[in-house]
Amino acid sequence: MTTATTSSSAPASGDIRLVNLTKTFGGSNAVENINLTIPHGSYCCLLGPSGCGKTTILRMIAGHETPTSGEIYIGNDMVVGKPPVERGTAMMFQSYALFPHLTILDNVAFYLKMRNVGKEERRAKAEDMLKRVQLHALKDRMPAQLSGGQQQRVALARSLITNPKVLLLDEPLSALDEFLRLRMRGELKSLQNELGITFVHVTHTQPEAIALANMVVVMDTGRIDQADTANVIFNRPTTPYVARFMGGQNVLTGSVEAKADGRIKLKGTGGAVFEAALKEPSPAVGATMSIAVRRDRIKLRKNREAKVATGANEIKGVVDSTEYQGSYVKVTVEMGGGVFVANLPDGDYFADPVDKGDAVIASWNTADVNILSKVDSGAAGDPYLNANH
Amino acid sequence: MAASQSYGPRPWTFYVLATLFTLFVIFLYGPMIAILVLSFQGPSASLVFPLREPSLMWFDELFSPRRTGDVVGAFNRSMPLAIMVMVLTVLISVAAGFAFRRRFLGSSVIFYTAIASLIVPGLVLSIGILVTFRFFGLPASWYGSALGAHLSWTLPFGLLIMFAVLGRLNPSYEEAARDLGASRWQSVKSVVIPIVFPGMIAVALFGFTLSYDEFPRSWLSVGSKNTLPLEIWTMTTNVTSPALYALGTVTTVVSFAVIALALGSIILIQRRRAGRK
Repeated sequence: MTTATTSSSAPASGDIRLVNLTKTFGGSNAVENINLTIPHGSYCCLLGPSGCGKTTILRMIAGHETPTSGEIYIGNDMVVGKPPVERGTAMMFQSYALFPHLTILDNVAFYLKMRNVGKEERRAKAEDMLKRVQLHALKDRMPAQLSGGQQQRVALARSLITNPKVLLLDEPLSALDEFLRLRMRGELKSLQNELGITFVHVTHTQPEAIALANMVVVMDTGRIDQADTANVIFNRPTTPYVARFMGGQNVLTGSVEAKADGRIKLKGTGGAVFEAALKEPSPAVGATMSIAVRRDRIKLRKNREAKVATGANEIKGVVDSTEYQGSYVKVTVEMGGGVFVANLPDGDYFADPVDKGDAVIASWNTADVNILSKVDSGAAGDPYLNANH
Repeated sequence: MAASQSYGPRPWTFYVLATLFTLFVIFLYGPMIAILVLSFQGPSASLVFPLREPSLMWFDELFSPRRTGDVVGAFNRSMPLAIMVMVLTVLISVAAGFAFRRRFLGSSVIFYTAIASLIVPGLVLSIGILVTFRFFGLPASWYGSALGAHLSWTLPFGLLIMFAVLGRLNPSYEEAARDLGASRWQSVKSVVIPIVFPGMIAVALFGFTLSYDEFPRSWLSVGSKNTLPLEIWTMTTNVTSPALYALGTVTTVVSFAVIALALGSIILIQRRRAGRK
């Protein structure tokens, strides 16, 4: 991670720094030695499958979970051991946790009531906040009378009235239906723009992270695999895990045959040859390495002869399935022991359609090949190897 | 009926179960209704049907005891006892319910020890309490030994209800309260207690009614002065007038009033939360 920490000059900064953060539950590490800096004012998504430790990190930042070891800084303050309210954080819970016995107005005014703000003043402030989320008309309703989207906006208003430096959101969109999810996603993004405070958003949905975040942290079983901008995470994943989890990538593995002319040459299973731009440090000749190619950079052509020699960056296979997606067609190709996916523009596909059982050759350009820092460990223990997303 | 049209003719099991339920209702409410009716018996003082010359004389007899026992005195002991048991049951069950939300060393041993008192026969417990009090030279009384005996009966019920109530309480509510600056005590007072309040009413209802009509545990532990169930039992052996029925009617009315009050307030709270006022 490379981020400038300018918190020394800005006391109200919502920089978050996690230093060697570890959390152990009953002998196993839920979060393992995490180091991460989330710059002030960023929209950060912690992304990973359930059980990867992302919610535990969020809850430790919020102060609802105590780290086993390590430090958490918000701005300049070491906050471990401090109650939530002294951290400048506010958390929005997955279930929203609106108090069922209080009206919407009293829910939003709860923070002010705890600080002994007078009744008139706290009601006025809570009404202002409800106006901001366009729920002023419903202020006397009970939470049970509101729709999911309305409840979420109340939860937002209740969090924001604390004037936080950091807003922590635990799977905020998971309880909403598809239509509302997209709408609230847009509202969260514009709210973050408007407030300029740090948002940390936990999700297991890749499109959500890509659409919202200017910093995506991809997690795998208690560790951070990659933390970068959404664009880099999607286009240049560094590990096979990130490539598969983000989707849209084909991961290929081969042994290094030669390094020459700024290119590195790999030999994959079944004799296919792959090429990638040579970047130092590079693996030695004979070593194994993995590469990734985006699905939408793949071209397919029918293989009309039984014995055709494939060139570099070409692979032979048989079409396993096709799936129409509107603007593109997803073609899954079965090739010696693995699955390869090409997302073809619908125009190209319908000009010369392929069908299940057709022999095809997939090809791509060397420039589209992305070298992964880790060797693909294969299917064992990786649920995303053949994931259809 | 729409149901029978869409599901075809009713199976024979329906008639078996309907008969069973009818018998259950007759056994439960039949005697209660019979006593209610006979408590209005006239001066013939007959203890059986038919009802002749209906009057309120036996209620009058009840409150101006000449031949009956000390009904008013017994009621004046049973009522405060039931209220004390109710308050203590709520306080202890709620506190224990909170304690049991976290697993602590020996929690299951304590839990099963408390639940075991549901299995111990009440009469045996009553004798045991009397013997123990005698051994320590303490006098048995309705506000001392009997209070303890009743709590041994109501607390396991209260604890089980609080387990169910607190088990359903989403911990996010407390975390949200803490997140919004509430102290631990404020989060209990302003969030947890109001949310679990209907459950607490249920515990109070159990505490009150179980104590108010408790016989076996009171039997030897009340000392020289009787509670109401003991007084009624005494009367069945030496009072041979419909005053007995009048007493039955009055105590049943008190029980029903308490239940109606409790259920009414639970329904009111739930209505308000659902937004219907």
